[in-house]
Amino acid sequence: MARILIVDDDPDMVESMRVVLESRDYSVTSAKSGQEGLKIAKLEKPDLIILDVMMETMDKGFDVARELKKDKNCKDTPILMLTAIKDKIGLDFKNEAGDEAWLPVDDYVEKPLKPEELVAKVDLLLKGR
Amino acid sequence: MENIATQEGLIERISWLIKLRWLAIPGVIFVVFLTTQVFKLSLPLQPLLLVSLILCVYNLIFLFFARKLRKQYSAKNFLLANRIANLQISLDLAFLTTLIHFSGGIENPFIFYFIFHIIIASILLSRRASYLQATFAVGLFVFTVAGEYFGVLPHYCLKGFTTYSQHNNILYILGVSFVFISTLYIAAYMATSISTRLREREEKLRQANALLNEKDRIKSEYVLRVSHDIKEHLSSIQSCLEPVTGGITGTLNPGQSDLLSRADERTHKLMTFVRALLEITRLKLSQKMEMGYFSLRKTVESAVKFVEARAKNKGIPVYLEIEPGIDTIWGAEVYIEETIANLLANAVKYTPYAGKIELSLQDKDDAVLIRISDTGIGIPPEDTERVFDEFYRSSNAKEVERSGTGLGLSIAKQVVRMHKGNIWVESALNKGSTFNILLPKGGKKQ
Repeated sequence: MARILIVDDDPDMVESMRVVLESRDYSVTSAKSGQEGLKIAKLEKPDLIILDVMMETMDKGFDVARELKKDKNCKDTPILMLTAIKDKIGLDFKNEAGDEAWLPVDDYVEKPLKPEELVAKVDLLLKGR
Repeated sequence: MENIATQEGLIERISWLIKLRWLAIPGVIFVVFLTTQVFKLSLPLQPLLLVSLILCVYNLIFLFFARKLRKQYSAKNFLLANRIANLQISLDLAFLTTLIHFSGGIENPFIFYFIFHIIIASILLSRRASYLQATFAVGLFVFTVAGEYFGVLPHYCLKGFTTYSQHNNILYILGVSFVFISTLYIAAYMATSISTRLREREEKLRQANALLNEKDRIKSEYVLRVSHDIKEHLSSIQSCLEPVTGGITGTLNPGQSDLLSRADERTHKLMTFVRALLEITRLKLSQKMEMGYFSLRKTVESAVKFVEARAKNKGIPVYLEIEPGIDTIWGAEVYIEETIANLLANAVKYTPYAGKIELSLQDKDDAVLIRISDTGIGIPPEDTERVFDEFYRSSNAKEVERSGTGLGLSIAKQVVRMHKGNIWVESALNKGSTFNILLPKGGKKQ
């Protein structure tokens, strides 16, 4: 049973994802800040991390992701980023320069969440391991 | 910023001065012709025509400078424009003096034309510079008149116009000089006080306008923040509703399912609205977009794909016609695609079953004309201007679809405006509408 860590400061988002993921028999833990997320990730070594971009700051999620990719225990853990990319917030998600450190996540999923999409992406990332 | 605004005005007026000079040159030649040929006065033709010719050449030089200045606004260029304006007026005064010297000096009533130059100087230049120009004019006048009186300069008598030569008549010279000099200074005084007041008023208007723009920006930022917060909540609401309506939390009874679906649907609509509001507000706040070269052809084709299924469902064929040679343009690809897709989606929405939609791209040299025609419900004539206004929806559009953001076309307008293009609609009620976008190809020149 794969363990998933959700890092999001919005408890309602966390709960809705928990319901969806637990219905697929995943075990879910959550953290409500980037700092807490980092601590739990390093401690519990989850199989997958779902990370919200906007938490304490506009792009806190990116900082957390970069930090995780540097950690020897977590660097291979897939990260699924939660974004609101459709809003054209000015963040360019196309990594044309090929700079891997720039976008240190494995996939992203659009807010508001579609349960099927979330499950499909999670399944795919975990299969790749 | 304020320098740029006044520089624009200054260069505009320099250009105006150049235009006036183009009128003055044939005017001089005409008057010379009239006096020598019709009134049979003897004037030295050669120097007069030579001066006119030099005037032509020097006007061409200033035309060249004005064009150059127009292209680039900067503090340095503003100073240059100011100097050019000063130099132009001084040179004009010198030319007028030369012309008058060759056509009778103090006997020539055209000496009062100096007043025009002083008025122009007062409009264009500072108070100090205007008085300096007036003093320069007086200097030139005194130099010519005194020169002719003391025989240093030759005198060309306007025989036939005055009974006898006036350049030696000291009383006449003193009288004319007094009137002439006082006229110039009084003109300078009056014109500078009026133009100073006008300039102050202009400055106040500019400040008021800047304040309004700033208030508008604050309002937009407020809207942005509020809609962003609303969107966050909506996002969570939708994320919580989806698993329930999707049956992940267990099966619902028909009553629960119906009500939840309604709530879900309304949340979707609200989300669409808030997104549109965010987009238009962001566009209004940002001065420019990320632009690059992209294939307009491919963009249009993918916009068509976006509505294909919906059009097919209503039995509406979408004809696409692209003139050869239209391909790469400079712009914000994502926004252009969205704009065309939105206009096409509107066309599908407001066209009844079995209608048709035509999308054509025409090459207009440095722009592309994009036309989207439908055989839909059309727009009432009184609404054709207002459909681009924020939140405005025409009465018959509301009948077809009750909910709509009323923001789609204002977003389109904003996007087109940021590409320095133009968007307009031609429509006949119950026959159809044609939306036109004239989109500059952009690139190198910008």
